[in-house]
Amino acid sequence: MRRGLLALAMLLGLAWAQDRTQVLVYGGDWTDLITLDPQVVYEFTGVMIADNLYETLVRFEGNDLSTLRPGLAESWKVERGTTDWILTFKLRKGSRFSTGREVTAKDVVFSFERALALKGPGSFLFTEIAQLRPGATKALDPYTVEVRIPKTASPQSFLSILTFTLGGVVDSEEVQKNAKGGDFGKDFLTNNSAGSGPYRLVRWDRGNQVILEANPYARVKPKVPRVVLRYIQEPAVLRTALESGEIDIAEGLTPEGLRAIAANPRFKVVRAETLRLQYLGMNMKPGSPFSNPKVREAVRFAVNQDELIQGLLQGNAAKIQTFIPKGLLGYNPATPYKYDPARAKKLLAEAGYPQGLEFELLTSTGICGGGVPCPDVAAKLQADMARAGLKAKIRAIANAEVLATYRAQNHQMVLAGWSPDFPDPDGNATPWADYAARSLAWRNSYNDEVAAKLARQAALEADPEKRKALYKVLTEKVLREGPYVVLYQPAQPIGLSAKVEGFLKNPMMSVPLWQVSKQP
Amino acid sequence: MGAYILRRLFMVLFVGVGITFITFLIAQVIPIDPAAAALGENAREEQIQEFRQRYGLDKPILVQYALYLQRLLQLDLGRSLRTGRPVAEDLKEFFPATLELALAAFAVAVLLGLPAGVWAALRHNRLPDLLVRLMALLLGSTPVFFLAILLLDLLHRRLGLLPGPGRLDPFLIPPPPVTGLTTLDALLARDWGAFQDALAHLLLPAFVLGSASAALLARMTRAAMLEVLSQDYVRTAWAKGLSERQVVLRHALKNAALPVLTLLGSLMGGLLSGAVLTETIFSWPGLGRYVTQSATSLDFPAVMGVTLLVGLVYSLLNLLVDLLYALLDPRIRYA
Repeated sequence: MRRGLLALAMLLGLAWAQDRTQVLVYGGDWTDLITLDPQVVYEFTGVMIADNLYETLVRFEGNDLSTLRPGLAESWKVERGTTDWILTFKLRKGSRFSTGREVTAKDVVFSFERALALKGPGSFLFTEIAQLRPGATKALDPYTVEVRIPKTASPQSFLSILTFTLGGVVDSEEVQKNAKGGDFGKDFLTNNSAGSGPYRLVRWDRGNQVILEANPYARVKPKVPRVVLRYIQEPAVLRTALESGEIDIAEGLTPEGLRAIAANPRFKVVRAETLRLQYLGMNMKPGSPFSNPKVREAVRFAVNQDELIQGLLQGNAAKIQTFIPKGLLGYNPATPYKYDPARAKKLLAEAGYPQGLEFELLTSTGICGGGVPCPDVAAKLQADMARAGLKAKIRAIANAEVLATYRAQNHQMVLAGWSPDFPDPDGNATPWADYAARSLAWRNSYNDEVAAKLARQAALEADPEKRKALYKVLTEKVLREGPYVVLYQPAQPIGLSAKVEGFLKNPMMSVPLWQVSKQP
Repeated sequence: MGAYILRRLFMVLFVGVGITFITFLIAQVIPIDPAAAALGENAREEQIQEFRQRYGLDKPILVQYALYLQRLLQLDLGRSLRTGRPVAEDLKEFFPATLELALAAFAVAVLLGLPAGVWAALRHNRLPDLLVRLMALLLGSTPVFFLAILLLDLLHRRLGLLPGPGRLDPFLIPPPPVTGLTTLDALLARDWGAFQDALAHLLLPAFVLGSASAALLARMTRAAMLEVLSQDYVRTAWAKGLSERQVVLRHALKNAALPVLTLLGSLMGGLLSGAVLTETIFSWPGLGRYVTQSATSLDFPAVMGVTLLVGLVYSLLNLLVDLLYALLDPRIRYA
């Protein structure tokens, strides 16, 4: 009897199993996922998923973050008004939400106002960078949206921000139906989707899996109708799951795991570009040895970037010394500083430290860009600098504590990372060069009025060529005078089954899952 | 007896308050700012201030503690700093997975440990006894993560006999969540395929988590049985010509059960709280993983919620064991 039941169960089990080419399983550490509400989400995983659930007016394609493409808007124009920039978007007809309703200008206005009202962690992009105010977005007719932002804001930055999930358009009727107590449907959209993207959210079991299914009304039909994101944190388990075919894509493999995968013809490795920069910050506050420009220059000559990238990072990073990452407008490929401990020593002597200089290097106990433990990066830097008489004492503490110390300007030298908040050079220029923005320049006591002015001027420049020229001057100035030593721009390697085609993770961490296909 | 239960229940409450106080103290000793942990690298000063205000982190510690207790009286465990959701809701979502795993591990421990212990005692100093003792030593001293990775590699990756990490094959459509226990939910949905798959996924982690307890239980049962078997009344039972089955079941086992029962209570509690490593390795979305993530992001309300829950379950299990004791052994009287 029991055996009979088991046999029956197995038979039924087979009958229930799905066609594996119709399901894409993506394994990784998704524990930062806390919401899928496009106007609230600000974490890597949440943004990556929400990007597949919602559409934006304009968007970027592939790895190119400098050319805007049509999204829900088929065309747009930017005009200079007397006090405002006027941006007008023409929506295409026939875009539909997963509820079947057509996307209209009313939904765009609702979504933008919703972003301002909810004040999510990313809302400063609208309120501060774009200086968007409530009521500034209007529906001129069902397919035309007008947005006004003050002359002091950059329309280029605003358009870039609009590619981000913050500008994702939600079904205003569906959301209002599910709103409670003036929450603009925030509770509802945390676990449900109401967008016009290629996928809709079916289920999210916290800590376990997220299941997406093709949105039946979407303009863009995904190649694989069902996507499952499986939470797998442990790298060894991730590798096992990839090798046994339980997952198709594995994010978070160790360098050894990746090497093994790359050597096996059943798998391949894709290197995703990032906009992240790993850098050293030197506190220039009065009295600090790093307030002396010669000491800062000595440090620049005392870092062996090539060995760091080739050795420790195994090539999973690009060499860069200026502060606008590769992939954005204004990227400056200049790398004038070569490892030269003798020259560094000389500079140090000229600065008044012939016996060398002792200082504290603050670092996180966690993982740095490129998947390498930060204490390892710090130890490598320590060894390089020691040959130049720069004696770093490493203090490795929890990342949260590093940040607290850094924000309080209580560091001497810090090993830190930075990712821009939106894909525009201003996402780096203002924080890195403008002391008044109270971000990195402020934390490192870098108060340079010329640099700040250049950053502001470049942000408002509408002509891309002139903008580029301004960023060249600014990046070179900060490279020589600033409080930073940019170490590298990491790439993120991802292992996948050879059957998976069309997978891409762009530098803003968005993954267009609808373009991915799976061979039998 | 009624007064005893009441007094013990009051003790459970006392333990609960103690737990909150100690975890609260620990949270204060750690010199790290939870706002910095929650908001990350790019956060601006105003955001941090706003966050501290929203979660009351700017208030003196005693005030924070009083507010916490006050909310606790209304069964409100506060909001998680990391997920922004009520901790109680998070616990509701993560606890069933841990419960399912702990129950399965408990079953493994009992089904393996008890018979092995009895068998070893009956074959004292002969081959079965040696075998059981050896296995108990091995399983009891193998680190959980090592055993987990070893078995995963062997049984899953190389031999393909058992499924890998997770609760269900990702290619299957999961049953609608009712209880949160995947096996039970699959049964409720009459989805035999999913049930079979969920059960298969449960085997390996349950064995890994339960094996050390099984080893402990086997040793304990063996010792208790040996002691009972040397008693006069057992010798009398043998002399009366009763079969081995009758002697063991009717006379020996019942009396050996008391110390074993005590162990079972604390084992179940230990399984609930000790699932951290197993859950991490098997990508099991339970409390263990939830609490590690909460701890690494300094999410104190969440850590306190989990600690409180596990502490209460532990206390209640102990209470249950003590009551069973009284039922099983009439010599024990509670004043």
